Amino acid sequence: MAEETRVGVYVCHCGQNIAGTVDCKAVSKYAKTLPKVVIARDHKYICSDQGQERIKKDIKKLNLNRVVVAACSPRMHELTFRNVLEETGLNPYLFEMVNIREQCSWVHIGQNEKATEKAKELVRMAVARSQLLAPLEIKEVNALRSVLVIGGGVGGIQAALDLAEQGFKVFLVEKEPTIGGRMAQLDKTFPTMDCSICILAPKMVEAAKHSNITLLTNSEVQDVSGIVGTFHIKVLKKPRFVDEKKCVGCGVCATKCPVKRPNEFDMGLGTRKAIYVPFPQSVPLVYNIEKEHCLYFTQGVCRVCEKFCEANALNFDQKEEAIELDVGAIIVAVGFDPYDPSPLKEYGYGVYKNVITSLEFERLINASGPTEGKLKRLSDGQEPHRIAFIQCVGSRDEKTGHTYCSNICCMAAIKQAVLIKEKHPECEIYIFYDDIRAFGKGFEEFYRRARESWINFVKGIPSETVEDPETKNLTIRAVDLILGKMIELEADLVILSIGLVPPKGLEDLTRILSIPRGPEGFLLEAHPKLRPVDAPTMGVFLAGACQGPKDIPASVAQAKAAASSAAALLSKGKIRVESSVAFVNEDYCIGCRICESLCEYDAIEIKESSTGKPAALVSEVACTGCGVCASACPTKALTLRHFTDQQLLAQVRAAFFEKEGTCVDRPHEAVAESLNEKIPQARSMKDSGED
Amino acid sequence: MEVKEAKSKIDPKFKFEVARVAGGESIRYCFQCGKCEATCPIRRFEDSYRPAQIIRATLLGLKDMVLDSDMLWLCATCYSCTERCPQGVRFTDIIRAIRNLATEKGKVHPFFKSQSGAIAKFGRIFEDESFLNEMRRELGLPSISVTASRSEIAQILRNTKIETLVKSEEEK
Amino acid sequence: MRYVFFSGCVTPQKENAYELSMRKVAEKMGIKLVDLLGANCCGFFMEPVDYLGAVLMGARDLALIDASGCDAITLCPACFGHLTRVRSKLLEDEGLRGRVNKALKEIDKKFEGASQVKHFVSVLVRDVGIEKVKSTVTKPLSRLKVAPHYGCHILKPSDEINLDNPEDPKLLDSLIEATGAKCIDYVEKRLCCGAPVLGVDEKLALSIAREKLKSIQKAGADAIVTVCPLCHVHFDLNQLSMLEKFSEEYNIPVLHYTQLLGLAQGLTLEELGLYENRVPVDKILSNL
Repeated sequence: MAEETRVGVYVCHCGQNIAGTVDCKAVSKYAKTLPKVVIARDHKYICSDQGQERIKKDIKKLNLNRVVVAACSPRMHELTFRNVLEETGLNPYLFEMVNIREQCSWVHIGQNEKATEKAKELVRMAVARSQLLAPLEIKEVNALRSVLVIGGGVGGIQAALDLAEQGFKVFLVEKEPTIGGRMAQLDKTFPTMDCSICILAPKMVEAAKHSNITLLTNSEVQDVSGIVGTFHIKVLKKPRFVDEKKCVGCGVCATKCPVKRPNEFDMGLGTRKAIYVPFPQSVPLVYNIEKEHCLYFTQGVCRVCEKFCEANALNFDQKEEAIELDVGAIIVAVGFDPYDPSPLKEYGYGVYKNVITSLEFERLINASGPTEGKLKRLSDGQEPHRIAFIQCVGSRDEKTGHTYCSNICCMAAIKQAVLIKEKHPECEIYIFYDDIRAFGKGFEEFYRRARESWINFVKGIPSETVEDPETKNLTIRAVDLILGKMIELEADLVILSIGLVPPKGLEDLTRILSIPRGPEGFLLEAHPKLRPVDAPTMGVFLAGACQGPKDIPASVAQAKAAASSAAALLSKGKIRVESSVAFVNEDYCIGCRICESLCEYDAIEIKESSTGKPAALVSEVACTGCGVCASACPTKALTLRHFTDQQLLAQVRAAFFEKEGTCVDRPHEAVAESLNEKIPQARSMKDSGED
Repeated sequence: MEVKEAKSKIDPKFKFEVARVAGGESIRYCFQCGKCEATCPIRRFEDSYRPAQIIRATLLGLKDMVLDSDMLWLCATCYSCTERCPQGVRFTDIIRAIRNLATEKGKVHPFFKSQSGAIAKFGRIFEDESFLNEMRRELGLPSISVTASRSEIAQILRNTKIETLVKSEEEK
Repeated sequence: MRYVFFSGCVTPQKENAYELSMRKVAEKMGIKLVDLLGANCCGFFMEPVDYLGAVLMGARDLALIDASGCDAITLCPACFGHLTRVRSKLLEDEGLRGRVNKALKEIDKKFEGASQVKHFVSVLVRDVGIEKVKSTVTKPLSRLKVAPHYGCHILKPSDEINLDNPEDPKLLDSLIEATGAKCIDYVEKRLCCGAPVLGVDEKLALSIAREKLKSIQKAGADAIVTVCPLCHVHFDLNQLSMLEKFSEEYNIPVLHYTQLLGLAQGLTLEELGLYENRVPVDKILSNL
């Protein structure tokens, strides 16, 4: 590269966002006076097609080899302009973006003169740095045409189906013995009152049968290594002690099993046997033995199931299976857990038998639930005549720590109330609320239908429930704020509309996948508005309630979006990865291992170098360019490409010392030097122990 | 924003006055769920005592309605509302701030005026400790002595609102 | 274990039996009490009129307690709550602390916040320990059924008091059981006694206490145990007003916790000031 440095500077008005405070014309005029700047322009919207074309024309006509754009944050348009350079044949890393909006015009409103001076200084710094920018290699990695979907609820199933239909190989991993998740536990869905399992089961069956989907139930992800395009997954499949290939799901074993256990699927309200399927429509319809309570495993007796199994499917010697998979992308759809209201002693959940949660009620009212869908209360099996719902239990609450709104509880309560009214029109229903959030399609109409059915809505959250020791009825104390009166209502049954919380085990998963969590504990997306299904890590996508409380249509939409994003990522067979990565000068590396211990991405290993001594080796494809290693390296052996000390120090000098602008002589040498920096005062191994 | 004059005038600055008195800042978090009223033992037995209404009126700016109201003096400071509020609105502290402002306006309930006045003057709620000490001596309890500290107490309460209140009473 | 004793206003004025029984019990437990001379009203009752004045009053007491070099024990939960809150506030709010110390300087005093103020009941549970309390019981009150009344200020606001869960308190329950007596649960366990509104609306205050008495009576308790002198006055003395205002008689004796513990420790009626109690305690004494 024995050519002269030729810099083009573009100062964006961004409408009035920048031009309202910064005098963009003056900044561009100033830029023209800086050394090495061949052209400087100001433009209303440099990111527009017109603006981009302007830059392209200048690059071609004026042989520019460096471009500086002074505009908004690089997070907005750095990629846009890097693409512009690439389209003209220039290396995209010869581009420098200066933020004169978020870091200048927007924070100095009303101080136009000073803001303009600051913008000029920032541009001067950028021009200095641009002279030291080096072209970086565009890196690509292989992209396998397979995807891991973690979580077999409606979200996971939908994502798996969409990907499978496009020809991708999908591994659907579910920790329970069956797929279906929370949606399978629901009786009806709002606002259509579709039977939940009826609309879900066909999808479940399709997922099991699809040639491109491998279903791994009773399994959990243990480890994820590698990088986007070639993730290596370790899955542990727990033993069911029943051969999946032989079991026909007839259920005779369960009828003979002597051990009764509370049924988790029915929220503990019903029973199942030690050998069981969670619910009749389970997929796969293969029985499981709960080892902890099976008489054979605990006491060495029984095995009655085996005696009666005509398919000979029992296998008490079945071991756990370690499965290893290689996939190109990962979709996380692990759902949610219901909030446990036991700590809220004022409501008496867990103490008063007739105070139940909305999910428990869903099982009660469901035809395959513990009461076969008959409306019975738990204390005496009697039919309730007056039912009260308490909304926002656990949610929107600074005290419980779940400060967010759980999204579905208003509609779920209305649905349950409408359901009850359909079966028992004479039953009185009261919903005690703070707000009614009926935001989705068909929701407000459904709320109207509830009022049409004479369901009572009371604005006022109850403070407590008090149990009558004889009848086990509950007295609810609330204030009807609109009336301005205190109400003491005696109800036969109280249903707590509990919120959604992050599922148990999420913390382990976030560690394995390096996905951060938001303040409320749900998985954090890359950008709340524009990238709601991307995890911050490339190649990992989020779908459903694990990213934040949401209903079925929203989960399905996110699942489809995640599938589409994963497909787009993997479709070309190759994925572009970060070029601005760490680089080791072996001459200076002393093998201290500080970098290796700090790297979050396992991208650095200490290995024997070409000279024979141990030195750090960076896996350039695994490295994400975070820069932690380079800043920690005591001998400056590690440099971060595109953020070398020399480049950054040039900016500092331009800011404080070289106010007429920086002129880098012999730029190509300087650039080469910047990648092999010499330490200002060399420290020998002898000196390192001093001070 | 043009606001039509209601029966009471709306003073949008009133809530800031309340928020300025220590403890009053949390009033802005109220989202009108009604749990405070549902919990309040006074409200349970006295229909005219309306904590949620007091918050509403304060936030809306019905200054006179709030400061002149009789119900301000019914709060038992039991802290049940503060305990149960899901948004961390510390109503007991807020009504304390409102009561202080009402007192400044001259709208203090006579019981509180006389009780606080006694404390400021005598250092304790009782004036004559000698009678108490006689009773205590009979039970074998040590004597109480606060008379000597009265001047100290008067000293530290100088330039406070209670001093002003006590002085204005004495002038009557 | 050495503490300075902060009496507050209500105890010496109306409930000397509480202090008396406490001193006797403290002796049995090896708790040494030092008198705090010249203490003023903690200031809690001044809050509705002038919050700053209330803080200054409390700060003077805290300065006296600091100067004593010990933590303080009090019998009144309102004093305990107020002094605890004032102390926390002064420790965290530098501006207010400066202002307060400026006023205190004029009377040669300083707030440092080194000493804490504790309620006697929390000292028993936390500093002494339930096991030790149990070990001092020589006459377990196994035939007695006692309803605990916690009151408000010893529990709330829980994020500042940090003693027990106001929704499901167990502290006093365990202290009662330590004496061998049976602790009775009742529906209105959490309800305030209503005493603070006596000066504003006496009938209202009595209506609230009445609701508690009804609930306690329904649960079949022989006696009520209180930890607050004002609650005690209201349940004990004002139980007689029930007869007058509502024509209802409850005849449920009301004991300070220290009186209950003292009985279990074998102390005499005189030592425990049980003759001061307004609702006669005779019927439970026969049940011991």
